[in-house]
Amino acid sequence: MVRFEVADWPTGLVEHFYLAFGASDAGIVMTGLNRHLRRADRKWSLKQWLLSAVIVVSFSALSGCATPPPASDPDAVAEFNETNDPFEPANRQIYAFNSTLDTYLIRPLAIVYRDALPQVVRTHTHYALANMGLPVQWVNDMFEAKPRRAGDSFMRFVVNSTLGVGGIFDVATDFGWPDHDADSGTTLALYGVPSGPYIYLPVFGPSSPREGIGMGLDSLINPFTWVGHGAVDADLGYARIGISALDTRSSLLDDLDKITSQALDPYATIRSLYRQHRESQIEDTRHYDEHTIPAWFPEQMRKPHQTPGSAGVQKQ
Amino acid sequence: MTTSSKPRSNTSRRHLLAWFATVAGLTITRSAHADASADSATAFMTKAVAELTSVVNGPGTMPEKAAGLQAIIERMVDVNSVGRFCLGRFWRTASPDQQKSYIEQFHRVLVSNITSKVGEYSGVDISIQKTFTREDGIVVSSQVARPNNAPAKVDWLISTESGQPLIIDVIAEGTSLRLTQRNDYSAFLSRNNNDVGALIAALKQQTVETTKAQ
Repeated sequence: MVRFEVADWPTGLVEHFYLAFGASDAGIVMTGLNRHLRRADRKWSLKQWLLSAVIVVSFSALSGCATPPPASDPDAVAEFNETNDPFEPANRQIYAFNSTLDTYLIRPLAIVYRDALPQVVRTHTHYALANMGLPVQWVNDMFEAKPRRAGDSFMRFVVNSTLGVGGIFDVATDFGWPDHDADSGTTLALYGVPSGPYIYLPVFGPSSPREGIGMGLDSLINPFTWVGHGAVDADLGYARIGISALDTRSSLLDDLDKITSQALDPYATIRSLYRQHRESQIEDTRHYDEHTIPAWFPEQMRKPHQTPGSAGVQKQ
Repeated sequence: MTTSSKPRSNTSRRHLLAWFATVAGLTITRSAHADASADSATAFMTKAVAELTSVVNGPGTMPEKAAGLQAIIERMVDVNSVGRFCLGRFWRTASPDQQKSYIEQFHRVLVSNITSKVGEYSGVDISIQKTFTREDGIVVSSQVARPNNAPAKVDWLISTESGQPLIIDVIAEGTSLRLTQRNDYSAFLSRNNNDVGALIAALKQQTVETTKAQ
C-alpha cells in the first residue's frame, strides 16, 4: 500500500520560502527528505520517489510551454526572453497547487505557532535551527573562496554549539563572527554556472536547474544527512523539519500576505522577487572581500568599514 | 618654409592646450557635479529619513500618521516617473487618456500601499550609510532596523532629473520595488491581451480593497 503523509509536504513549501527569501539553507529541508527516504518502514522506495518526480516533471513538460510572442513585436520578445519562464503554464499549475496547500495547511499552522509561543522561544528556536545549517554554509564558504566567511561559519558553529548551548543562543555574532548566506546554488553561480529557466517545483517552489542541483549538493554536504540511524533519529529529523517549516513560514506571515494581496499577479511577483533576491545574494557573495583579521584586532589593520553581506559597490 | 611651419605648429600647440584645458575643465566640472549631486542626494535622504521616522515613531493616531506619511510621499517621491517605469513598454502604446488615468490610479495604489503599513513601521530606525552613483541615478544605502526584525539593507534610488532630488526606487535586500511592480503589471497585461484599460480597472479595484481592509 502506498503511504503518503501530508506531513511531508510542508518541507517543500518551506523550501520555496527559503529560496524565495533566502531565510536559511536548503540543506535542512533536504536532510529531512533524505531521512524520510531512508526510514525502514517507508513504503515508497527512493526509486519510486524518483520515478514519481520524473512523472510529475514530464507531466509538467507535456502540459505545455509558453507561446513566445510574434517576432514582429521586438519589445514583447525581449520581455519574454528576460522573463525566461518557458514552462510558465505548467509552473502556474504547480503554483496553484502549492498555494492551496499553504492556504489550508501551512499558513494556519504557522499562525498557531506564532500565536502560541512567545517571541523569545521562537527566536531561540530559529537560532538552533540556523546553527544546524552551519556545516553546509562552511563548506560552501570554502568553495566560494571566502576565507573570512569560512572562519565566521566555523567559529559560529563551534561557539554557538558549546557556549550557545547547542545553538540556542547566538553568542558568536557578539564575538564578531556574524551570520551570512552561503549555499551550493550561489557557489555554482560563482563558478559560472548559468541559472537556466525559471522552474516552479511541486512542493519545493521557485527554483531553476542551477538551484535544484545546488539543493541536492547541499543535502549531500550536510553531515546531518549521514549521521544517525533508527526510528528515534528519524523522528528527531521530522521534528526538526516540522519546526523549521513553522519557523520560516511564521516569520513570513505578514510579508507573504502582503505580496498576495497587493500583487495583481502573485505568481509573477514571487518570480520577480525570487530572481532579484537570489541575484543580489550571489552578487553580495561575489563582491565580499573582507580580510581574515578578526574583530578584536586593532581597527587600523582592518579594511574600511564594510557591512557583512552588503553589496560590494562602493563610492569611488 | 620654416617660418610658415612655426606659426602653424604654435597654433596646433595652442589648440592642443585649449583642447586639454577644455577636457580637464569638463572632467573637473563633471566630477564636481557628480559629487555635488551625490552630496545633495545624501542630504535629501537624511532629511527624508528624519521626517519619516518622526512621523512613524511620533505621537498621533494611525490616520494622522498615514496622512503625514502621504505628505512625505507627495513631496519626496517622483510618483509620475515611478508610474511610467512600472508600465514599461506599454506606456508608449497607451492613449493619452489612459496614461492620465493610469498615473492617477498608480498614485492612489502607491500611497495606500505604503500608508496602510504605517503601524508596522513603528519603532523603526534608519541609518544612512554610503552613497554611490549608478547609471540611472544616485543610490543612498541605509540600514533599517525594526524591533523583533533582523536589520535590513535598504537602498534608495534618487534622481535629480526633475531639477531636485526625488526618490524613484526603493531596493530592499536587493529587490527593487519598481522592478517587481513592473514585472507584476507586465505579467497581468500579457494575460489580459495587453489591455492597459484592464490594468487601470484592476488598480481601481485594488485601491477599493485596500481602503476597505484599513
